[in-house]
Amino acid sequence: MAWLAFLLEALAGSILLALVLLTCVDVFGRYFFGNAVDGATEMTEIALAIIVFAEIPVITWRGTHVVIDVLDGVFGRWVKGLETLSAVLISAMLYLLGDTVMGQAARALRRNVTTEYLHLPVGDIIQYIGIMCWLTAACTLSWGIYRIFMRREQHS
Amino acid sequence: ATEMRVATWLPPTHPQNTDVLPTWGKWIEEATEGRVTLKLEYNMGHPKDMFALVEDGVVDASWTFHGYVPGRFRLTQIVEQPGLGADAEAASVAYWRVYEKYFTKANEHDGLELMGLFTHAPGQIQTANPISSLADLRGMKIRLGGGIQGELGGRMEVTPVNAPASKVYEMMQQGVIDGTFLPVCEQKTLRLSEVAPNLTLLPGGMYLGSFAIFANPDFLDSLDPKDKEAIMKVSGEKLSQMAGQVWDQCGVDALKASREAGVNVVEVGQNDPMAKQFQTLSEGMDKVWIQSVSDLDVDAEKALQELRDTARNYKPNVAAN
Amino acid sequence: MTIALISFAILLLLIVVLRIPLAFAMALVGVVGFAWLSGLGFDNLTTFRWHGALAMASSRVISTAQEYSLSVIPLFILMGNLVTRSGLSHELYRASHAFLGHFRGGLSMATVVACGGFSAICGSSLATAATMAKVAMPPMRKYGYDDSLASASIAAGGTLGILIPPSVILVIYGLLTESSIRELFAAGFIPGMLGILLYLAAVRYIVWRHPERGPAGERTTWPERVQALKQVRGILGLFILVMGGIYLGVFTPTEAAGIGAGGAFVIALMRRSLNLPVLFELVSDTGRTTAMLFSVVIGALIFSNFITRAGLPEDLLALVTGLGVSPMMVIFVILLIYVLLGMVFESLSMLLLTVPVFFPLVQSLGFDPVWFGIVVVVVTEISLITPPVGMNVFVLSAVLPDVKTGTIFRGITPFWCADILRLVLITSVSWISLVLPRLLYS
Ligand code: NA
Ligand code: NA
Repeated sequence: MAWLAFLLEALAGSILLALVLLTCVDVFGRYFFGNAVDGATEMTEIALAIIVFAEIPVITWRGTHVVIDVLDGVFGRWVKGLETLSAVLISAMLYLLGDTVMGQAARALRRNVTTEYLHLPVGDIIQYIGIMCWLTAACTLSWGIYRIFMRREQHS
Repeated sequence: ATEMRVATWLPPTHPQNTDVLPTWGKWIEEATEGRVTLKLEYNMGHPKDMFALVEDGVVDASWTFHGYVPGRFRLTQIVEQPGLGADAEAASVAYWRVYEKYFTKANEHDGLELMGLFTHAPGQIQTANPISSLADLRGMKIRLGGGIQGELGGRMEVTPVNAPASKVYEMMQQGVIDGTFLPVCEQKTLRLSEVAPNLTLLPGGMYLGSFAIFANPDFLDSLDPKDKEAIMKVSGEKLSQMAGQVWDQCGVDALKASREAGVNVVEVGQNDPMAKQFQTLSEGMDKVWIQSVSDLDVDAEKALQELRDTARNYKPNVAAN
Repeated sequence: MTIALISFAILLLLIVVLRIPLAFAMALVGVVGFAWLSGLGFDNLTTFRWHGALAMASSRVISTAQEYSLSVIPLFILMGNLVTRSGLSHELYRASHAFLGHFRGGLSMATVVACGGFSAICGSSLATAATMAKVAMPPMRKYGYDDSLASASIAAGGTLGILIPPSVILVIYGLLTESSIRELFAAGFIPGMLGILLYLAAVRYIVWRHPERGPAGERTTWPERVQALKQVRGILGLFILVMGGIYLGVFTPTEAAGIGAGGAFVIALMRRSLNLPVLFELVSDTGRTTAMLFSVVIGALIFSNFITRAGLPEDLLALVTGLGVSPMMVIFVILLIYVLLGMVFESLSMLLLTVPVFFPLVQSLGFDPVWFGIVVVVVTEISLITPPVGMNVFVLSAVLPDVKTGTIFRGITPFWCADILRLVLITSVSWISLVLPRLLYS
């Protein structure tokens, strides 16, 4: 799991740096040479999707999502059981969501939907998002199980 | 009464949301004796998501621009080809008839019930600085939508900048772009008269943009058959014509307002050099399109000819509403 | 209205009692609520067709992850991270110290000013507070400042991060409400300056009442001041690059984030503050923060689809119109709700939970969306330092483990009052926020 997280972070990180480079080259080219990068907007959008969905499973696995912890300590151990239950519920939702996303990807591929300028297949990127939804579902489940055995952390 | 939920986009003040859809809703309500009413839902997502939202039954109907989903819709580009020389109403009626007759079998709108097809008024050149020839556009930073505009921009050798239409105002004002190709209507709806005070109107415009209005088939089947039939009767050509009319009117109003606001409107005559330049420049684009759909089992050439004949000979009858 | 309120209560239960991550809780309530409105009941749980509700959610997931205007989020965060790594924040503090340090409470004032300067290149309040804590706390302790004043000035100064452009929160508000991000950025500037002035006044007030809390430091000589000013040219250059480029039309506000990140990268390289492990840590930290923000935004959009379908905005409007109070009164009631919610929530969650509910109402009452955006951000800023859940305070106590949150909260009251004063000013005088965007863009 740790090496997978490392790989995903490395992917997100390199795409992020590429995105910086892309914007700079695009603006420079347009302003000084009257020649912008074709499809820069599209590439930005795809890069964004790659970055976000490479990291979502990672932060889910590490449990670093935004949580509200005002009432921590007010409730007893039984809450932990409910937490696990909700982890199961969320992971089911994410699994079904991934399923729906994959359905949309298959549809986009079947109908040859492409991007506007570069004509890249839209279905491929949707498929990537779907797979990452499934991976996040697995991470949620593992986080829920982990919570049963671990003491509640103080603050995140 | 059954509520027909129609997802929409563009601001609530746009004629599509103040005229086209409400008029359609009034027709539906009358035709079904009040058993079906129409409700607009905003903020449901990006315009390109509308096809999926309707197909998956999140909403019952919607409308959107075909160009947002390239690849899937290729035959719909028939109406966008330069040189049609008709206004939106004529083009929309001809478009609906020809599409029904020639292209329905290609099933591009798979999973959807097509309720209407229409175009916006012709796209024109809107720039920060005046132009006296198409050659002036060479090297200018022009915001282009996809599809046919991209091809035109390429032939004019502009520096293409891609961005959604809603960002054009911002980019014009900052000087990130020098101009854009959009219908005159957007002088008003996007407040472009403030930032693009030079409007060059080519006769018949440069290109048209293809839109569809569509519904979820399961929703229609869930209605009483006679209500479904009543709805279909106030849709199709009737709806397409009305939509085209409204979008034309938007352009007329916008042009008047722009003139009053001091926009420099240059109307290029049929025999002016710039019109000739454009003809030469856009020559053969229709052939390219026909070639691009040659893998589909449709007679694109004949359809295009019929579209042009119908649109050019179209006589507007009494307003549908 | 009932359905919306019940689901809101369930949502609060999920996030507060069960501690479910906000993103997932909003998405879950959104999907189930949407399904409920499409006919889900207790009797058909197993046979219900979930496809519609899930398709609604999946279309939000797919298109938000690819939303062009949100690309500024990772890029501005990266810029802030790179700048901090290059030591620019230290120099910023040194410069403000050189000019203000010899006053009573001067180091606190220097902290506030440095926070304001850092906000001009950093889009997040938490990052501003965390950075300035590391930079400003040690010197204040060295000069014998009271911990409560020292830490409170950092926590309060840090809230400026989301008002003075660039601001991640304003970008998200712009996305949720389809208002112009450029105008929002311009509108945040003067209220941000006003914030600095009022915080300075709060510091003066504290040292006037309790002179022992903020003793004066040594006076810096003019040559030293010039020297210190010279050192901030890196940060100043970056600011001029980003804001000047936007203003002169070289690039759009969205592209500005990429240019700023590129500029910060070059500065970091020139100062030799980067090597491969450091770079990896910076970019993956940026990526994680980005993913965290995106997941809550996606959750909020799914939730807002459900809230809209439930008809809450229309019901609220009907309710308010029925009350017959003036529109301004409605705004003040909304703000009161915000301040109350601010006790429990941190900024982003609060914005995401409430904007879908209140914005349509405010819009239909005829208020300017840009002005409301600034008002919401200011009240959201207040939530960052409002107990018991003040995120800036928590961040500070995480960065400075030996300072108790109670100590910080104790010191923060004058700053909190300054904030409330500013909120009232900005709400009743819309000119403060709208003059700059009007001047620049119309
Ligand atoms: Na900022
Ligand atoms: Na709070």
